[in-house]
Amino acid sequence: MNKFMSVLEDILLPIADKLNNNRYLTALRNGFMVALPLIIFGSIFVVIANLPFLDRLIGEEAYATYQNALGPASAATLSIMGLFVIIGIGFKMVEQRGGEAIYGGVVALASFLVLTPQILEETAGVIPTSALGAEGMFLGIFTAFISAELYQLFVRKNLTIKMPAGVPDAVSRSFSALIPITLTLSIFLLIRIAFSFTAFETVQNFIYTLIQQPLTALGSGLPATIIAVLLIQVFWFFGLHGQIIINSVFDPIWYSLNEQNLSAFQAGEPLPNIVTKQFMDTFIVGIGGSGMTLAVIAAIFVVTKSRQLRELGKLGGPAGIFNVNEPVIFGLPIIMNPLVIIPWLLAPVIVAIVTYFAMDLGFAPKPAGLIVPWTTPALLSGYLATGNNIMGAVMQLINMAIVFVIWLPFLKVLDNQYYREEQSVQATA
Amino acid sequence: MKKILLACSSGMSTSLLVTKMEEEAAKRGEEVKIWAVAQDKAEHDMEEADVLLIGPQMRFMKKKFAVTAEKVGIPLDVIDPVAYGRVDGAAVLNKAFDLIEQG
Repeated sequence: MNKFMSVLEDILLPIADKLNNNRYLTALRNGFMVALPLIIFGSIFVVIANLPFLDRLIGEEAYATYQNALGPASAATLSIMGLFVIIGIGFKMVEQRGGEAIYGGVVALASFLVLTPQILEETAGVIPTSALGAEGMFLGIFTAFISAELYQLFVRKNLTIKMPAGVPDAVSRSFSALIPITLTLSIFLLIRIAFSFTAFETVQNFIYTLIQQPLTALGSGLPATIIAVLLIQVFWFFGLHGQIIINSVFDPIWYSLNEQNLSAFQAGEPLPNIVTKQFMDTFIVGIGGSGMTLAVIAAIFVVTKSRQLRELGKLGGPAGIFNVNEPVIFGLPIIMNPLVIIPWLLAPVIVAIVTYFAMDLGFAPKPAGLIVPWTTPALLSGYLATGNNIMGAVMQLINMAIVFVIWLPFLKVLDNQYYREEQSVQATA
Repeated sequence: MKKILLACSSGMSTSLLVTKMEEEAAKRGEEVKIWAVAQDKAEHDMEEADVLLIGPQMRFMKKKFAVTAEKVGIPLDVIDPVAYGRVDGAAVLNKAFDLIEQG
């Protein structure tokens, strides 16, 4: 068993290293981090705009005025999150290499806008906000990568205007970006023109149809979700941060699916997707952290008698409420512990399947597309993520019960083992 | 004063350790500055630290951090998983002091 595990770790560690230290994936992850405060700001106002019972309290008309007044908060942030992700990625791409990062941000944004349709139903001079949200997400990510690389390539090639000595540094710097940016944006303009002669008409349409739609369709399905959940658990079993590794690949898909639900939610239409960013964060991970260990902590308090586990419960409980569970993962321990590998891998998969079908059948509401910070305690997060729906919290409670039951027999075995050790140490002392 | 930087995915779980390490340092009468950051901020903050300790779940970042650490001239290592799980301030503080001493 030990040999097998060390072989597996030798395989996983380089994968984690590659995924986490890959230049593009790092920029992608950190780019999303840049957008996150804005996304959460928008989400807060979606929650406030959709407070339950308010329409009955103040009347339909006043409620509509109230919603209209708050609308711009999420329309300017959450609904066009693609923009901020693009700036973030472009910035981080250049920052990594020690260049002037702000130019990376603006060149990525401008390149994306060059490729974006600037006409809507025959009205020129309009950029549809849908292009800046979910639909433009993948195009935006690719554009940010490519434009930042091109910009840096042209900077490295020294295609900059050299100012004579005596010109203030700031002045020469403003010129130094001129040629690389001009060349980069010209290339994107050519790409746009080239695509206007194809059947796709826009690059956006091309990427959306050929890459984004198939990928998100795949990612919204149960099989891909189970694979993602399993991979997260396997990485964590070896003490490697599963989400941060897997999310850097899945986030673009999960966020796009999320955005689709958000626009449907705000338009009062049926929500198209079950699997979204919040499906993962709220219903699979957000119950005490990866592996939903809040239920494990609850089980520790209910059934264990060994000092070691009870101490762990006290230590890990407060952090677990806010979905930080490293004390449990390293303290139980879950890592490399063959006794708990079955519940560790099985419970989240069962929960994912149950939640998926509960939402599919309409028992539980689908995530409404707003982003709840991952440190939000369980039950509250389920309520908020489903657009102020108490059934979201009920679903989380059911998930907790499932994890609790699956863990119980294994926890008992572990507890007995610890308890016997403690007794024998006491006896010899 | 010894300056100890801890890094994990988002600086959450290492911040649990910070409190415990500070308590332990106060008990020993040592003057320390201990803080926890997310992995994307670690390289920036290394300049102000005497040692960098990485959460075991982020141990795949060690190679990357080692490059910056060498540039800045500080030692770094991964925190022992057992000490991490127990949030054992004393053990991690010992490790940090050992690393600083060895340079």
